[in-house]
Amino acid sequence: MNTVLDSSVSAPTRNADEPGGAAPRKTGRRDWTPVNYDLRDTWFPVSHSRDVTQRPIRRIIHSQPYYLWRDDGKPVASEFRPDTPQPARARASAFTGGSGFYPVVERYGYVWAWYGNPDCADVSLLPHIPFLPLDGSLPGYTQRTVRFDATSALSVENLLDLTHADFLHAGTIGDGISESDVVEVEWTSETVTRTRIVTRKSVAPIMRWVGGVRAKYQDFRAVLHVHLRSNVCISYPRFRPGYDVPNLQPFLPVGRHRSRCDVTFNTTAAPVPLRYVMPRIAFVIQPQDNSVVRPQNERYFDPDERADLHSRFDTPGTRYRFQMEQLVQRQQRGDFSYGPDADPGRDISRLLGMND
Amino acid sequence: MATGSWWAAALSESVDASRPLAVVCNGEALVLFRDASGAVCALEDRCPHRRVPLALGKVTPKGLQCGYHGWTFDGKTGACAAIPNLSADERVPPRYGARSYRVAEASGFVHVWLGDGEPDDAPLPGSFYRPHGEEHTGASIVNVAAHDYLDAMLDGPDCLVSFDGVRMTDFFLGDARTEDGWLTVDRGAVWKTRMLPPAFVTDHPLIVRTSVSLAGGAALVGLLDADEMPLVTVFVASSANRRGTTSLCWRGFRHDTRVAGAPLRWQIARATGRAPFRIREQIDGAALAALLVAPSRDLAAARAGIASIA
Repeated sequence: MNTVLDSSVSAPTRNADEPGGAAPRKTGRRDWTPVNYDLRDTWFPVSHSRDVTQRPIRRIIHSQPYYLWRDDGKPVASEFRPDTPQPARARASAFTGGSGFYPVVERYGYVWAWYGNPDCADVSLLPHIPFLPLDGSLPGYTQRTVRFDATSALSVENLLDLTHADFLHAGTIGDGISESDVVEVEWTSETVTRTRIVTRKSVAPIMRWVGGVRAKYQDFRAVLHVHLRSNVCISYPRFRPGYDVPNLQPFLPVGRHRSRCDVTFNTTAAPVPLRYVMPRIAFVIQPQDNSVVRPQNERYFDPDERADLHSRFDTPGTRYRFQMEQLVQRQQRGDFSYGPDADPGRDISRLLGMND
Repeated sequence: MATGSWWAAALSESVDASRPLAVVCNGEALVLFRDASGAVCALEDRCPHRRVPLALGKVTPKGLQCGYHGWTFDGKTGACAAIPNLSADERVPPRYGARSYRVAEASGFVHVWLGDGEPDDAPLPGSFYRPHGEEHTGASIVNVAAHDYLDAMLDGPDCLVSFDGVRMTDFFLGDARTEDGWLTVDRGAVWKTRMLPPAFVTDHPLIVRTSVSLAGGAALVGLLDADEMPLVTVFVASSANRRGTTSLCWRGFRHDTRVAGAPLRWQIARATGRAPFRIREQIDGAALAALLVAPSRDLAAARAGIASIA
């Protein structure tokens, strides 16, 4: 795994756009057009398990329909509704190998469906999510569905982005004032991991008023592990004094304009009422994010001669953009395999800082 | 040689230091605000960092601060003046900035220079409007394309503007004429209180004079009496917005001129200060579609003539 460290307390004199070794800068490089990404051969958590019943529901991945229902208790994912006449099923696509049925597996409280060549579906490629029980046995209050008015890659970049919270979400998450703020980025050909370590930050309003943290300052360490193909974002923030708020935010690429996120906040170890309120914070945060990503989205459809400007605070985002581009180009060359450094299913407990 | 032109983009009073104003002028998304000195500034409504509209941000003493990450841009130059959380020994790269536009205020309008080149000595469109007394102002977006709006201003201004108690006719008083960069046409008008329809009028007691700028989207609409003394003057600034719509902002006023034979309604409106005109914000599509092409036929030719001279 590759690593870059960025610290706001020890930066030497330099211009703010120096990437600190993040994404390599090339003159004449292509503009970023994330709305056109369509990465294949990966598992997508298409639905919370609890939402899949005998009655079919419809989900969409890159405009490809996924009908989900249970047959004898087991999840089924199909290109067609179960009542579709047999002749119409002849239109089954390569995504199901002509069978009409996607590879599907149930884990962590989600139904995961394969997007890509069904012959390549392999359960060992499922991400490891150490804070969610394998059988998904969490109370209902931990799960919510939110919708983002942007393509999934922009939504993921927004989540990786550190400094926007100081402006958009200051009333909920708190301002950006702290004694030190260190950001570390690690990556493989399939993942980007951002770790932010902040000391003596003013206590987040939700921690103070809902979580009962009465201290003036708190430290926090937030790890975000992103699977590039599937937009599965595994987040482990730890507040001290305070609580751990591990959460899963998988951005389902509904299309080029919108993404859907069936989130799970495992707040079962947090005190009441924080454990109930925290999963619902998405309903506060999401409209704030949508106010910016919604107009942003249409401006990333076509290459712009003016590439985005960056500061060193964008290191996780620029790394994400670069790794995504690499993956996209590899798939455009017809290579859908996972590289030797990729092991999506590896144990990430230590990476998330759960063992500290 | 400049190929750009000045456009009246907003009313002066709409642009203040409390919050930025998003406008679309001649198809370009702009954000207008006043800096700490009170000067009007215009930037492209697009943060160069992550392309979010700058109009979602707020005005600070250093300039306009983007609402997404807090990058702040100087209103005059567009230079990025601040990136939050930089340490004391870091500096913003000099090349970082948002696109800025030249601005000028005249007669209650904020003008923006759009296009290439430097502004020449050409007068600002709004400078042709010289108000006296109480003004009536407004801004809107209408559901018609910008060039069609100006054509209609020449061919059938009654689709777009109305004067209190006045019926415009479509009898053109001569052909359209070009003067000082404006294409102007007169048409007869009558008071609505007359018993007989306009066709029975020997001489029209009123004149509606519409002038369209050959350089930009400005239009002057005047109501005059038979002696060509102005009764009402309205300046309408128009420009292309998105999806075939048109941005409008306007100012108008009633002259002190006493008009003989004016109906009681007109006299009361004058005494009470009621607006003597109305800019239609809901345009009758059927009426617009029924307009025959008449003086607007000369507009394209006149503009082409200007372009060839330039």
